[in-house]
Amino acid sequence: MTSKGISNGQKILIVDDEHMSDLMRSVLRRLETDGFRPIVVAPEGPHVGGDDYEAQTLFAMEEERPAAVLLDVRFGEYDTDRFKGLSILKKIVERDSSMPVLMFTQYAQGPYRDTAVTASLGASSSVDFIDKLASPEEVVLRLRRLIGTAPETIRIGSLFEIDAENAAVYVIEDGKRDLIREMQGMKLEILSELAAAYFRSEGELVPFSRLERFSEGDDSRASLRVRIRELKVSLGNAVSRDFGATELIINIRNRGYRLVPPVE
Amino acid sequence: MNYGIDRTTAAIWIKFLNNRLLKYLRKGGAVLAAIGLVLVLLSPVIGEPISPGSLWWIEPVAYIGAGVFFLGAIAAFVSVQLASRRQGQNGGDRSWSRVTQDYFDTFAHDMGRPLRRILGKQREVRALLGETGEATPRMVTELLDEIEQQAPNFRLMIENVRVLVDLEDEHARPAVEPVDAAAVIRNIADRYLPIARERDLELVWWCEPAEFGLVYGDASALDHVVTNLVDNATKFAAEQIEIRLTRNDSHFLIRVWDDGLGIAESHLVHVFDRGWTPELSARREKQSSGLGLYIASSLSERCGGDLLVESKQSTGGDLNEHHAAFTLSLPLDNRPTAAR
Ligand SMILES: Nc1ncnc2c1ncn2[C@@H]1O[C@H](COP(=O)(O)OP(=O)(O)O)[C@@H](O)[C@H]1O
Ligand SMILES: [Mg+2]
Repeated sequence: MTSKGISNGQKILIVDDEHMSDLMRSVLRRLETDGFRPIVVAPEGPHVGGDDYEAQTLFAMEEERPAAVLLDVRFGEYDTDRFKGLSILKKIVERDSSMPVLMFTQYAQGPYRDTAVTASLGASSSVDFIDKLASPEEVVLRLRRLIGTAPETIRIGSLFEIDAENAAVYVIEDGKRDLIREMQGMKLEILSELAAAYFRSEGELVPFSRLERFSEGDDSRASLRVRIRELKVSLGNAVSRDFGATELIINIRNRGYRLVPPVE
Repeated sequence: MNYGIDRTTAAIWIKFLNNRLLKYLRKGGAVLAAIGLVLVLLSPVIGEPISPGSLWWIEPVAYIGAGVFFLGAIAAFVSVQLASRRQGQNGGDRSWSRVTQDYFDTFAHDMGRPLRRILGKQREVRALLGETGEATPRMVTELLDEIEQQAPNFRLMIENVRVLVDLEDEHARPAVEPVDAAAVIRNIADRYLPIARERDLELVWWCEPAEFGLVYGDASALDHVVTNLVDNATKFAAEQIEIRLTRNDSHFLIRVWDDGLGIAESHLVHVFDRGWTPELSARREKQSSGLGLYIASSLSERCGGDLLVESKQSTGGDLNEHHAAFTLSLPLDNRPTAAR
């Protein structure tokens, strides 16, 4: 998976006693390639236990002001620390109820949702659970979603960049951005809609019902087809290419459209 | 509280780990251990030191082989242990649900440990290989991919066993909470997208209306049922998989569709039966336990919904005229009437 957004060095607090494990190292590496700054909580001393992690985590929250926390459930192999992560979670949420926390569990949602802790979280808190075996890509994707800020720019492969705030589409060449002037109005709106879905989740399709407002006349699908064709031509011109039916924006069995990053 | 393998918890395990499951676990473990051993033995032939500079993983095949052996041996050992305790079994516990959940938690964690290590090592090896930029032998890449792909299988298996435990408990009620159904589906799509891609399948999902909103139901059950359906779809699809989330006045519906060869009409009545699976070909490694759809449909019913199947198999002419589609339908609001 390629990185789609630019995270401008947002800090992520890592609270896991196994942060030196290979599994966590690959997550840290992925965070860095995606432009995050992982900050590892690692208390020092001869007998580090769950309480030390708790204290250090709360300290680091004040000190570092992270954008989110990645938290493990288990700390150490002692029974007393078995669910230490849940108590750390509770403390974090007490301090800052809006702090996004992604918590590792052993399976998708598990029994933790039943515990008193999760019940006390309240609907507004942004706490999510993920399996410890999840791929680093999945972890970063979920974390990004939890933080929730739509990125200012969305990259489509290595060719294009959409700047939602300034309503502009750029072509990227040798690291430089060139504005594509043709990309305005409805073309830009359709592309933004497709890009937003693509950013949320690579497999997400934009169904016709959500694109109908961009079409006109009796045969709305045909009119939409024309619009999409024009859009592809505009983008194609910018890179001197002709994007075919199975490239860039594709029609999925007449259900809707989907953006796929172009291959160079 | 004691989380070790004591008599009570073991008895509870035995209650649902019937003969058959234990047998599979034992056999599977033995096979896995054998594969691991073969890998270790063959490593001087099929593997090769990739980067002579870093001595600690000179032989990834041997390393991974040892890991696989370890995992298999543990599975076999645990199943034998459990089987030997069957005699001392005494049913009828009041704290059934509590104790099993605690025990299951420990079990899942311990079973997962070797896998977490293997998976972690695999991801490190992959990253280092990417850094050196040298061509990797195809066999090594395949091995790494295989390990990565087995992780979701393991997750689903563990989760299936957990739900089986839950289903055995007649007093258990689904946990009802506000659920962002679209987010649950999106997470599943994200999890299976790399697997689908690996198998050259196109996986798409969408929801209508776009702002789907909250439903009141059991998020974990929803996640689990749909995961089983999508998992099957990635096994049987020819090229395409679709996951669609829609709603009507009273229910929300998730349809998982794939363009695979489908299910024979005479088989449709059996697909939700416990342990049912058509023994298609003896040549292929059997991958099915026939538990997934049984669990999925039982769980749907417990949540006040149902799971339906529809399939078409091609009748000669048009080869593309085949598919399988499962539709899960759950109430928009599953709270007890008094709580609304
Ligand atoms: N999408 C599908 N297309 C074709 N056959 C299917 C599909 N889903 C399930 N089946 C059939 O139903 C059987 C049982 O599936 P399931 O209960 O999920 O078993 P398992 O837990 O082993 O995956 C499978 O072996 C397969 O033959
Ligand atoms: Mg299955």
